[in-house]
Parts: sequence; C-alpha cells; structure tokens
Amino acid sequence: MTRHAVLDKNVHRELRVRTDAGAELGDDIMATLTVPSEFRRVQAHFPILFRRETGRADFAAMALFGFESGENLFLDGDRWDARYRPLSLAIQPFLIGRPASDDGPGQVHIDLDHPRIADAVDGVRLFDADGMATPYLDEIAGRLGDLDEGYRESRAFYDALSAYDLLEPFSLEVTLDDGSLHSLVGFHIIDEARLRALDAEALGALHAAGHLMPIFMAMASLSQLSVLVERKNRRLAGG
Amino acid sequence: MSSVVERVIIVGGGTAGWLAACVLASARHAAGRPLDVVLIEAPDIPTIGVGEGTWPTMRATLAAIGIGEAEFLAACDGAFKQGSRFDGWVDGSAADRYLHPFTPPPAAPIGELLAAWQATASDRSFAAAMTAQAHVCDLDLAPRQRTMPDYQGAANYAYHLDAGKFAALLSTHATQRLGVRHISDHVVGVIDDGRGGIASLSTRQSGEVAGDLFIDCSGHAALLIGNHLGVEWIDRSHTLFNDRALAAQVPVAPESLIASQTVSTAHAAGWIWDIGLPRRRGIGCVYASRFVDDDAAEATLRAYIARVLPDAPEVPVRRLTFPTGHRARFWEGNCVAIGLSAGFIEPLEASAIVMIELSLRALAENFPASRDAMPIHAGRFNELFRYRWDRIVEFLKLHYVLSRRDEPYWQAQREATSVPPRLAEMLRLWRDQPPSAWDFPRVDEIFSAESHQYILYGMGYPVPAGLTPGERAGALLAENGHRARALAAALPRNRDYLDALRPDAGAAAAR
Repeated sequence: MTRHAVLDKNVHRELRVRTDAGAELGDDIMATLTVPSEFRRVQAHFPILFRRETGRADFAAMALFGFESGENLFLDGDRWDARYRPLSLAIQPFLIGRPASDDGPGQVHIDLDHPRIADAVDGVRLFDADGMATPYLDEIAGRLGDLDEGYRESRAFYDALSAYDLLEPFSLEVTLDDGSLHSLVGFHIIDEARLRALDAEALGALHAAGHLMPIFMAMASLSQLSVLVERKNRRLAGG
Repeated sequence: MSSVVERVIIVGGGTAGWLAACVLASARHAAGRPLDVVLIEAPDIPTIGVGEGTWPTMRATLAAIGIGEAEFLAACDGAFKQGSRFDGWVDGSAADRYLHPFTPPPAAPIGELLAAWQATASDRSFAAAMTAQAHVCDLDLAPRQRTMPDYQGAANYAYHLDAGKFAALLSTHATQRLGVRHISDHVVGVIDDGRGGIASLSTRQSGEVAGDLFIDCSGHAALLIGNHLGVEWIDRSHTLFNDRALAAQVPVAPESLIASQTVSTAHAAGWIWDIGLPRRRGIGCVYASRFVDDDAAEATLRAYIARVLPDAPEVPVRRLTFPTGHRARFWEGNCVAIGLSAGFIEPLEASAIVMIELSLRALAENFPASRDAMPIHAGRFNELFRYRWDRIVEFLKLHYVLSRRDEPYWQAQREATSVPPRLAEMLRLWRDQPPSAWDFPRVDEIFSAESHQYILYGMGYPVPAGLTPGERAGALLAENGHRARALAAALPRNRDYLDALRPDAGAAAAR
C-alpha cells in the first residue's frame, strides 16, 4: 500500500525517515530503475539492463542487484554492500509529485506507509525545530531533482535508441557453482554490432544529443554481470 | 605457599569490587589462563552509591567484560552522558555557563583552532565551535542511533547510572557468567604472610580465606590497605576544600526531557550536581563545612530543586562527610587498593569510577605472575597512580582558580598558597601557549590537554597572542557547524531512545 502526501514543514515537522539498509525497509529487490544521466555512476557497481515498462512500448533501464525476484546481492543483513545506491532507491520514501497537466517544477511527496517512515527513536529528521530543512532533506531534494531531470531527458534517449534500432533482446543463463541454473529473460541490451555499423553522421547526431556516453556506459556495465555471479556463488557457499 | 598468583581475593562489593571481579575474571579468561576470583562482601553494609557518572572508558570496559549495551542501560536505569556543563562558575551571572564535552576539538594544532575560533566563530562558545556535540547536548539528544553497533556513537559518550543497580548487574554477571565466587560475610581478621603482605582473611562464618593477591575495595573503611597495612593517607583538603555532600533523588515525570550532560551549578560555598536518569534526577550539594553549615547547604539544595523541578515532591536528603585525599601507596605487598580505599576527591569531574577502571586496566595488563615480581609491579603502579591523583587534584583546582566569583569561599580557592605549584606553573605557561600534549605527555592521561582547553577557554582564560589561523582550521570549524545540523536531524532524543529500551516505559512505540 502507498499513501502519498505533499511534504509540509508544519505537518511533517517531527517526522523521521530511516536511512539504514535492510530487507524490512524495502531493499529486498532484484533491480531498481536508473536513468541515462546516472549510468556513469551506476556502471561502476551494477549491470544496467533495459526492459519494456509493463504494458507499454517504451523502455526503461534497470540497475540489477540479483537473479530472482526479491534477491538483492548487495544487501548483507543491515549493510548496503556497495559504494553507491542508485538514485531511485536512495530517494525512498520520497517521490516527485506533479499535477498531470502541469510541466512546472515538481513538489516533494512522501509515502507515509513506506517502511522507512520511522518512530521517534530511529531515523533522521526532515525539518529542524524551526522548520528549516535538515541537511538530509536538502540532499534528498537534490537527488529527487537529479532523478526527475534524468527521467525527463530519458524519453529522447530511448527515442534515439529506437530510431537507430540499437536495442537487442538479451537473455542470460548462469550456471552456478552448485550446479543450479538461473536465467534472466525479458531484458534488452545495446546491440553492439548495429552501433559499430553506424556512420559518422549518425554517431555525430547521437553525440550531439548527449546519448553516446550513456550508450557506452550501459555497454561497459555488462562486465558487472560476472561480479554479480561471483556474489551469488559466494552467498551459496555461505560466505 | 605457592609463589604463583592463582587466587585473587576482593574485599568489598560496591562498584569497585564488582568491577574488579568482572575485569580480572574476564581478562584472564580471554587470555586462556583462568583465575580463581573470590569476592567477600559484608551482607549488611550499604554501599555509598553516589558515583553516578562514568567516563567514555566505561564503554570499552563493559564490552570487554561481555555485557551488551542495551542490557546495561535497561538494568541500571542508565542514560547517556556527553560531558559536564558548569553553570555559574565564572561570575554567577544568568548567562554564565560552559560545557566540557567528551568529544575533543578537531585534529588540527590547537593554536590554529583558537585563532580560527576568534577570527570566524567568536559568536559561538569555545565548545560549540570545537565540536558539534555542544549542539547535540543543547537539544537533549542521544549520542547514537539504535542501529549503530553496541558502544559506538556519532559523538564520544559515557553514562549516567544508578550505582546500586550497576553493582547488582555486575554481581550477577560476575557470579553467573564469569565464575566469580561470592562470599557474603564479614572480614574479622587479617593473617600476615610474614613478608609484608597478607596470607589470608578470617571471616565470621566462612572460616579462613587464603589468597595470593588481595584487592581492597572496602571503601572509606580501607580494611586492608589502611587498617591492617597502615599505609598513610595524604590529605589534599588544603587544595580542595569541599568535605561534605547532601544527596537527593528526585522523581521525574515519565515524558520529561533527559539532559545529555551532568550539570554542575556553583553556589556560594561549593556546587550542586544534577544527573538525569529516565526515572529520577540525582541532585546533590557539595560544600565546604568551613564556609557554610549543613542547614544552609540544604536550603541551597532545596532552592535549586524547587527552581529546576517546581512540581517535584519533597524528598529526603542524605548527609555525607568525606575526606579529600589518597593513600601514599596503592599497592603494598600483595594488596592493591582500588576505589574509595585508594582515595577520594569531590565528584566534580566524575573521576571516581574512571580511576577504578584505570587501576584495573593497569593491574590486568601487568598482572603479577608470581609473588616475587610484585615489588616491581607495586613500584610502577604506585608511581603511576600518584601521578594520576596529582593530575586530578590539579585539574579540579583549575575549575576554581579561574573563577571570578567574590564570595569568601571562592576568594579562598584562589589564594596562591592553596594552588599546587605545578598548576601555578602551567597557568603561567598557558598565557603564552595553549595546553598541549607537551604538558600531559603520558599514555592514558586522566585529563588530556583537550579537557584543559575546554575548561580554560570555557571560563574565558585569555587566548595567547600572536596565533595565526590556518586555512584548514577554519574549514574544520565550519564543518562542525554542518555536522551539528546533520546530527540534530539524525539523533533521537535521550528520552525516546531510553524509553524504547524499557517495555514498561510505554511512551515510545517499541518496534
């Protein structure tokens, strides 16, 4: 369940949000949304795979944490075992709200039923006693802005990928040390052959629009797949 | 008699005795050489139970003896202590207060920090400029979040506790988990070992108890080190005048705020301690009988309670008399004095429990393997602890000599004849250079140069001329400001944190 509210310094003056990690806080997920402007930071830690948004024709990018639903190989009990947390995860339980018709600046919303909503003992305050945003909320607002901007820019990115037909279906079969087989299906990756075949004019256009860098970052991120397999094997071995 | 030290007899069951039992038993157990530890406690002698403040060292001590932090806090009605605040010590005016926090100033030369403070942050107190902890204390916040590992915090901290419950917790832990043997009996005699030490103790009902090493934790009675071995007492009351205390326990409302520090408020002839625990505040008046009589001191104490807790019921007040001083030697033959039997100084900076811990650490880490080596250990131990008592006396005296209060008591505190010569020398030096590790060069100095800085500049001692602020020092002070805001957002209030540990508190929603 979710219960969204516009964040208000009077209503939410005393509210606290938990910033630690844990399955009970909603971190037990196998992937999270990422945006092209964030690919550079994500690719150093996680594989980036593309997927059609449910029931829609357009694509979205996911940072992958595990091989099956609910599996997060970067969550070690109450410890986040990576030096980066993708924006869409780091901003929880906040989101950007915007009236359907309006394209103006968004508002900070909060999901009051999110498990990260804390009591008076745990968590970090959003406002200080005088109603000033705390450094934590300032940081969240910055991240929300980055994510929102990245998401708005992503439409042009996926339009370009479609126009040049640069995505190809991807499925991965992984045999683990214990002999078990895992497969990832329904994802797409950059079609490297088609990318190589593009002429200078097409590449120039992609570059001018700022799409070339995220394309290469997404390709580079695939080297993290083997790291993910290693993590899975380590976990199976009980390490 | 075997020359190998295998059996330790502790006399006395207060904080000192039970801490000694826990530390020695667990240290030797960890080293794989279990020790036979026996504690003899007289069944009907009440413990003094005034020492309700610890030092940050207590976190490592508790972790080492194997007690979890939440268990400790719940069992002892404990609260967090992040320093001491001194109200009215400089001139007694309404705005006169300063903090001695446990978190030291940033890691930069103190001269540069002082210059940066004066240049860019002189609107803040010295403590508020040097550490974000001052802001945390102002807001009554806990030093840690519940998700942090035991005994770790966002700021350095110690505890306030109910000393009676603390001794009970340690006693249970020692006897049930660490294999310490508890004899509830009176010691009625001491049998010499013929070479300046003790062979055994006679008890009223449990016969003779022999041992290789004896620890005197019998409090002011000093049964072994004083009565039997006759080690002389060195009186320090010509430097520190206070010789009496009145102690009260005042119940508090369930949702009331719990302070993050001990508050020490000066009065005409001494000072008042105020220690906040979840269910009560320990409030007491320390004074010098030479300057004020008991009834006047009690009136001062009651006026304070009425001012800070106007709705509090009338509470009984216990009257205590104490000597100020310490033994000439703390280790004599095969007997070590720890706790009040070793010495006592007014509880202004909560030095009692930390001295117990330091004594035990020195003993556990240099534990005599045999009786033959004991004179060497004794000599080193006596030199070290004589040094430490001298430093405590001087550090406490510092709080008085920097005052500008004009009552006769305070004027007498500043008379040159009452100031130890080393302290007088230091004060002269500190006009030219700030306190530094050059002044306090030992390992485990009881009061560091940083502590002296907090008192000196908290009380308005002039900053030496000609200091230049480094760029880094300015940035570090600015960082403290940001950190203060971040901590204010992240840390829970003491009340909320502590209530969540106690299912019966009911106020906070326990998860």
